[in-house]
Amino acid sequence: MTRNELDRRLARLGLEVPERERDEIAAAAHLIEEMTSRLRPAGGRNVAAEPAHVVRFPEG
Amino acid sequence: MVPDYLTVAEAGRLIEKRELSPVELTESRLERIAKFDGRLNSFIRVLAEEARAAARQAEAEIAAGHYRGPLHGIPIGLKDIYETAGVATTGHSKVMQDHVPRQDAFSVARLKAAGAIVVGKLATHEFALGGPSFDVPWPPARNPWDTSRFTGGSSSGTGAAVAAGLVLGGTGSDTGGSIRGPAAYCGLAGLKPTYGLISRMGILPLAFSLDHAGPLAWTAEDCAILLQAMAGHDPADPASANHPIPDYRAALKGGAKGLKIGLVRHFYEADNEANAAVKGAIESAAKTLEGLGCTVSEVRLSPLADWVACGVTIMLAEAYAIHEENLRRRFTDYGEIFRDRMALAGLLTAADYVEAVRRRRELVEELDRAMAGLDLVMTAAAPTEAPPIEAVGKFATFERPLLTMPFNVTGSPAMSVRCGFTDGGLPLSFQIVGKRFADATVLRLAHAYEEATEWRKRRPAL
Repeated sequence: MTRNELDRRLARLGLEVPERERDEIAAAAHLIEEMTSRLRPAGGRNVAAEPAHVVRFPEG
Repeated sequence: MVPDYLTVAEAGRLIEKRELSPVELTESRLERIAKFDGRLNSFIRVLAEEARAAARQAEAEIAAGHYRGPLHGIPIGLKDIYETAGVATTGHSKVMQDHVPRQDAFSVARLKAAGAIVVGKLATHEFALGGPSFDVPWPPARNPWDTSRFTGGSSSGTGAAVAAGLVLGGTGSDTGGSIRGPAAYCGLAGLKPTYGLISRMGILPLAFSLDHAGPLAWTAEDCAILLQAMAGHDPADPASANHPIPDYRAALKGGAKGLKIGLVRHFYEADNEANAAVKGAIESAAKTLEGLGCTVSEVRLSPLADWVACGVTIMLAEAYAIHEENLRRRFTDYGEIFRDRMALAGLLTAADYVEAVRRRRELVEELDRAMAGLDLVMTAAAPTEAPPIEAVGKFATFERPLLTMPFNVTGSPAMSVRCGFTDGGLPLSFQIVGKRFADATVLRLAHAYEEATEWRKRRPAL
């Protein structure tokens, strides 16, 4: 993620991040992108696949 | 003369027989805190007078024949995200340093009702996520085995205080490994119980759907005693399970014979490769368990990174929602590690979160299938011994997949158990995982392993 892109995203979030920290966050953003890319199966997920319920897991 | 180190069970037996005074035991812990905690930073707040008063009350009750059970008169510490009536509960953060709750957390009230003596509030990573931090109002806790080392987090103060014998047990919370990590690095037994077994009411949240409260102590038996007091249905917590609570301590007597264990070797041999000391200690532990009559067979699960992507996405998204308003208004009142991790969390999309929760269902079902013919699984708790505290980076949580996170995703009971030492004398641990609500089986195996080995006998030289 470029610094300009990060600055736009942080402005949209309304976060006043100190200048020094912005470069570090921009440099680490790929970690989040790599992580979220793992959530989506190749070819997509069955449209009817439900989320896990928060308070009741399937009984083991 | 009170020994420097006692387990909860040992002290409880002595108190019950009136061979140990709760007042003397509590005073001895306060002396140890005064002597050692300047180097360990495990306490944010010592509640000396409150502890003395509670100890006197315990002693009087016991003398009058009103013994409440194995926690009666036992000094414990509370991670400073557990709310305490009239006592500041800060989350180790400037953002909440003046937060004084009106009532105790449900689990704190349960511990007090069981007779435990609260000696103080313990250090944590900021809001159970950001640490070790040097720019928040209190310094980070240090590892008693080597004070230049990291305690693990986020239940850092509990790990340090229990390992140093400043308290006999304590509370932690675990959203991605925050009980099991400090337990591993500080050489303790640390149990993340089944999701919903202990109420989260009155515990500052990190991520609602992943947060687990639980005990850290010297032994599995001590964890069983603490869990017994803390577990139970609480209608005030929407995730609280209305499930029968067994006698966890009695269940320890079952032994390990006949238990079927799946070894998730690829987590720590390929997905987040452990060092040779950890790998060797786990191989040795597996052999010990076979010697106790268990069967150990290898199982394969999805890559560790998949589990961690699911869990960390959920954790960050839920944490961001909790802190969003304060992040906008007072970003730099948070420590740099916490706030910059939250800035990364702000980059997640709503679809990322929903996809993570959909993935969660798949992973829960996957572990259920894998465990269908098993009682337990085991794997590493951490890939190395405790690293130097300065070596822990701001984004370390995202750089190597956490070996503990899969079992937050599934809500399974999971426990760190010590299984050796490095040549340099730092503790090594492995992780035991059970089926949901089979916490007693996890404790039973951990106890059998501890009884069969010598690892519990060694204490840190302070």
